[in-house]
Amino acid sequence: MMPYFKFDYFGFDFSLVVAFIVGIGFGFALERGGFGNARILAAQFYFYNMRVLKVMFSAIVTAMLGLFYFAWIGWLDLSLVYIGDTYIVPQIIGGLILGIGFVIGGYCPGTSLVSASTGRTDGIVFVLGIFAGIFVFGELFPLIEGFYNSTNLGRVTLPEFLGISHGMVVFLVVLMALGAFAAAGWGEKVLAKKNGRGVE
Amino acid sequence: MKELLKKLSAAQKLAAAAFLLGLLALIIGTPSNNHSVNVNAKEMLLSTIKTQDRVDVMTLADWLIKEKLDYTLVDLRSEKEFAAYNIPSSLNVPVENILTSDLRRNQKILLYGNDDVASAQAWFILKSSNYKSVYILDGGLNAWKDKILFPKLADNSTDEEKSTFEKVKQISLHFGGTPQLISGGTSSAVTPQSAQVQPMPKLSAPKSPAGGVAKKKKEGC
Amino acid sequence: MNSKNEKSHEGKSFEPKPYSNPYVVGFGLGLVLLASFLVMGRGLGASGAVSTVVAVGVENIAPQHAAKNNFYKEYLGDGTTNPLKDWLVFEVIGVMVGGFISGSLAHRIKRTTEKGPNVTVKTRLIYAFAGGAIMGIGAKLARGCTSGLALTGGALLSLGGWAFMFAVFGGGYAAAYFIRRQWL
Repeated sequence: MMPYFKFDYFGFDFSLVVAFIVGIGFGFALERGGFGNARILAAQFYFYNMRVLKVMFSAIVTAMLGLFYFAWIGWLDLSLVYIGDTYIVPQIIGGLILGIGFVIGGYCPGTSLVSASTGRTDGIVFVLGIFAGIFVFGELFPLIEGFYNSTNLGRVTLPEFLGISHGMVVFLVVLMALGAFAAAGWGEKVLAKKNGRGVE
Repeated sequence: MKELLKKLSAAQKLAAAAFLLGLLALIIGTPSNNHSVNVNAKEMLLSTIKTQDRVDVMTLADWLIKEKLDYTLVDLRSEKEFAAYNIPSSLNVPVENILTSDLRRNQKILLYGNDDVASAQAWFILKSSNYKSVYILDGGLNAWKDKILFPKLADNSTDEEKSTFEKVKQISLHFGGTPQLISGGTSSAVTPQSAQVQPMPKLSAPKSPAGGVAKKKKEGC
Repeated sequence: MNSKNEKSHEGKSFEPKPYSNPYVVGFGLGLVLLASFLVMGRGLGASGAVSTVVAVGVENIAPQHAAKNNFYKEYLGDGTTNPLKDWLVFEVIGVMVGGFISGSLAHRIKRTTEKGPNVTVKTRLIYAFAGGAIMGIGAKLARGCTSGLALTGGALLSLGGWAFMFAVFGGGYAAAYFIRRQWL
């Protein structure tokens, strides 16, 4: 049965080796996607290059379908896969703040690490900024602890929240992603014509 | 068909595959609501014969004193009974909620009820639902009371029995029990605060989540 | 899509190669994420590793101060193991190595600063630092970043993950207009 780690197929020390290998795959994919480059990431927010949306949604759809079918065949115990609790208000506010930081800085934490390791100075500075931000958050934590822990809804998934079947949500997400891809491709073409700017 | 596949780009093929899988998912509905399962009866019989899946109360007492906490101790009785008394560190999951509880399939689970009936039933339900290591506290809470909380020593017992009783007495006192000496049919407690009606030990303040459920570092980002 | 670009670049071997097809990359990234779910039962992350390092740093400088703070305590564990011996820390080291490998193979390793055409390097670096700091705060408030919450939570169909993802895009598009000079 999967997930292997939760069934004690290997111990904690080996899990760190897995972490390193998974990390390599993650970093490799991010770099291939062009996410080590702030200009490409920022372009997402000005609609002339929608790579972020394309990569992110295709990754989500792939992993989501994989989880669904592995659970369906019976190889995976989905209840053992860690899903963080939903704290709806702090997560929405945090998301808005993070989005603003994304446009200003041009990276998100994962991509800034790739950017730094491929020699970009702005990536290195951005990583230092994250350290500073988390330190500030840590120091302010006693003041905002109440808000941080508010509106805890527990381990909620969309099928539970919407009251529809898991498969229905999977289908809707696939449809939404395909729709977004079509719109993104069309939007890029229109903007490229208008501005004379290449899609790349 | 081959012609068509050649014409499509990699992205279009992926999109088509995603769409088809999504559509199939819609038809499947829920990936794992299948509660009728195949049970390996022989394997279960074997583990029952070998009594590997039983833990006796002395072993449990030993674990608790040594604060060995790699298992989750589950009290299958009702909430009311649980509130009146429970073995330290136990988690209350009435037997009717056993499948909807937060117990994880990879946890080591030690079950007890008043006797062995509820735990045997819960053991079977959990085993057949793919819980990996499920154990039964031999004799349940009744054995815990007899052997740990209120152990008895007859007057005419041998020295050997007396010396083991000394050990048991220490364990018993640790859990707030009342060890007793039985002389000629009437029993008298060896502890100063003797009482005819055996009082159940008072519950200590509930500790943080029991049995290693939430003690590890969080897994999130 | 950008196959024309790819062909024109193939001749010169030391030119940086164009980035791969985003859908193929997304599929690959999805497989990595799925592998993590299947093997470990958890998804990817990034900001958690930085938090661990910050918490360890604070603990080394001011142990009592760190012990009073629930946020640091969460990342320091119960003291039985070295907090840096953490899954996310090792994963993040892997991310840097993986990024470097991919960049080397495609000749994209370069000491440079990525910026819009109308700003100086200094301005860009100030923005990068500020953006990083804002993101650090946002990520911790939301309990995750784009990889840990949006990507992982998205694939797991977590309510918080999806709400967070839309909030990120919302915040990004709302702020984009005001700092368009930096990028356009």
